[in-house]
Amino acid sequence: MRRDVFQAIADPTRRRIISLLAGNPQHLNAIAEQFDVSRPAISKHIRILTECGLITIKKQGRERFCHTDLHQLREVHEWTEKYRTFWTSKLDALENFLTKDQGKKKSKH
Amino acid sequence: MDSQPIIIEKTINAPIEKVWTAITNRDEMKQWYFDLKEFKAEPGFEFSFTGGTETKTYLHHCKVMEVIPGKKISYTWRYEGEPGDTLVSFELTPDGNKTVVKLTHSGFETFTSGNPDLDKKNFVQGWNEIIGTSLKNYFEGKK
Repeated sequence: MRRDVFQAIADPTRRRIISLLAGNPQHLNAIAEQFDVSRPAISKHIRILTECGLITIKKQGRERFCHTDLHQLREVHEWTEKYRTFWTSKLDALENFLTKDQGKKKSKH
Repeated sequence: MDSQPIIIEKTINAPIEKVWTAITNRDEMKQWYFDLKEFKAEPGFEFSFTGGTETKTYLHHCKVMEVIPGKKISYTWRYEGEPGDTLVSFELTPDGNKTVVKLTHSGFETFTSGNPDLDKKNFVQGWNEIIGTSLKNYFEGKK
């Protein structure tokens, strides 16, 4: 099964886990307590998020702490930003084309 | 429900008729947009062109969907060999002697249609949340 950041964000529970953990590492039990779904279900979501590279698990004593690595989400962000940049530059080019054209005609008069 | 589109508005200091010609006439489009073999502002007209970044170019395939002469044109926008079919539209509104150009690019959720693991509705919701709020706050707050 393909694991990527797009799959990670496609599930509402995973999105909640991501926002819960952003900048606030927690251990597995603490995360599970905040959801109505079963602990194995949460473990599965955490595993998927780990496979997507959005969460890393670090052992501290007997507890396993989950940290987010939101760098991966940049992929999603950059992807739409690329289009935004592309269209902005195209509209700038359209403006240059039209106003340059206008200038030419004015100078002929 | 669609994923959040990209919408860009720009006021251009040119009358609406001139802007319309610039976005629908092949010879004018060539000078600021893409060099197309042929272009017709007619629903159903299909065109292809190569474009992209300096490092990688993509063959684009487009089909005109809607035309309101002098006001609006929209066409599909997809890439050769890639899933997904997005929609690009240009809408013109006069503002005195100037023209407001509204560019909308929507349908980004369709780029993942090749992945059967994704539930579309949920993906779109996640996409909007991530793109529209959390990521925006996260990255812009960090800067």
